[in-house]
Amino acid sequence: MNLKETFGKKGAKTIKNGIWREHPISSATLGICSALAISNKVENAIAMSAGVIFVLILTAVIISLLRKIIPSRVRIIIYMITIASGVTIVDLVLKAYWPTVSEAMGPYVPLIITNCIIMGRAEAFFVQNPPKLALIDALANGLAYTYTLMAIAIFREIFAFGTLLGVRVTPSGWVDWVVLAAPAGAFFVLGVFLWITRTAAGIEPPKSS
Amino acid sequence: MKWLSDLFDSFRPQFEKRGNLAFLKPLYEAIEFIFFYPPARTATAPHVRDPLDIKRYMSIVIVALLPSICASIWFFGPRILLMILVSYAVGGLVEVIFACVRKTEIHEGFFVTGILFPLILPPATPLWVVAVGIFVGVFFGKEVFGGTGHNIFNPALVGRLFITISFPTILTSGWTAPGAWRGAVDAVSSATPMALAKTQGVLTPATDLLLGIPSGSVGETFRIGIIVGGIFLMLTRVSNWRVPVSYLVSVCVFAFVAGLFGWAPATAEGGASAFSFALFNLLGGSVLFGAMFMACCPVTSCYTLPGKYIFGIGCGVLTVLIRVFSGYVEGVMFSIVIMNSFAPLIDHVVLQMRYRSVETQGN
Repeated sequence: MNLKETFGKKGAKTIKNGIWREHPISSATLGICSALAISNKVENAIAMSAGVIFVLILTAVIISLLRKIIPSRVRIIIYMITIASGVTIVDLVLKAYWPTVSEAMGPYVPLIITNCIIMGRAEAFFVQNPPKLALIDALANGLAYTYTLMAIAIFREIFAFGTLLGVRVTPSGWVDWVVLAAPAGAFFVLGVFLWITRTAAGIEPPKSS
Repeated sequence: MKWLSDLFDSFRPQFEKRGNLAFLKPLYEAIEFIFFYPPARTATAPHVRDPLDIKRYMSIVIVALLPSICASIWFFGPRILLMILVSYAVGGLVEVIFACVRKTEIHEGFFVTGILFPLILPPATPLWVVAVGIFVGVFFGKEVFGGTGHNIFNPALVGRLFITISFPTILTSGWTAPGAWRGAVDAVSSATPMALAKTQGVLTPATDLLLGIPSGSVGETFRIGIIVGGIFLMLTRVSNWRVPVSYLVSVCVFAFVAGLFGWAPATAEGGASAFSFALFNLLGGSVLFGAMFMACCPVTSCYTLPGKYIFGIGCGVLTVLIRVFSGYVEGVMFSIVIMNSFAPLIDHVVLQMRYRSVETQGN
């Protein structure tokens, strides 16, 4: 599949930026809080990523459709209302259909509102671009968030619980690494992940003065 | 260092051609090499009288650790050698990889970390746990900060902390009784003095602690050897005496205060006296080892002289607080790591207070 043919020149660039060059977590260091807190089990990571992607898409479409009529002085409030509506939908759906997952994720579902990726993309991209591009951008960023969470969650679940999606994958003598189950342990994993992806993508750290 | 050099010079004639011990000359020179290489001194100003580089610094620490190492092998058997070997192999690999990628030299600092790390573990720690610990210690504790001299925390303690939190059951059950491996005592494992004090209110006698009869971490049991090594480090000025001394004194003082307030564990006779509680806190657990070999680490403790006192006192207060009030039986590791994180702040405040007048004049 050729990206340029399918999505046009701008669309292809948006995808590349979202997934790799301007990766929301490793390049912009946004959404760190949920990446640390929710990545202890793959199951939670999937639910979290799905929620974030849904809210991203909803926000992208609504904000970019309204971008010509949103007064710039109250734009942040408009983003908040849009994001909050999306999050409420996700929260209620989870509570109705997957109560156990909703329980496990606790306050982190409502906290998607404060996920900086959504707010950041709304301000930086959705409000300046037509719906089609905004949708592509939302998908690319959601995908980047998802694979980051997955990578961290797979590593953490195997080491901290000896399981993968609840299925035991480690030999019988396995000793759980308790520290990786706690958010503190996620700093080690996320740190190494950022290091690898930043080096691979050639992202320079900001110059300290 | 002068007295050490004089000592060597006074022995030198014995090893020369007509001396009584001339056949041991290579040995003498090897030991002198450890202490005094490189020997270069400048002939003109600015005068460098004694080029004390990292290599010499670190070899002197290892010499000071020798009594503890030998005692630990005598107490806990050849298994300790395996632990040291694993520690050096895994940690050395990390060190070499980073040195190759960064194109720098391999620093000798690792030789101290690699030997300190097994010495602060329970004797029965599985070898793979040793490997994980030293890997995390060298990788996350030192190399990600930029290598030797750039680390915020003591690498050996970072490794110990990581595995303590990761594998709580392994790290609290591996207390082999000293001498059990050669059948000197019947018990295979026994509770540490700190655990005994916490759970049963029994204070181990000071003479037992000094000789290393109760169980404990690999290197911390033979306390006479630790004291000798620590004093040797202070005399050679490799470690600054201010940190260990203020640490130990404050542990004594605050344990005494805790005893006066009745926070000491009650013994069968109806409460330990404040004095015996203070003495027990000074000798028991890993305070001596931590103060002599870890708190005074020149990289991670304070640079300023008043800062060194504050650092030592902070360690002492935290150690007693954790021992008396927390769920953990031992607080030395936590207290040193916590104070490590405060060391730059303490230095900053000390400099601000001392040189405030200079700064305002400059402006």
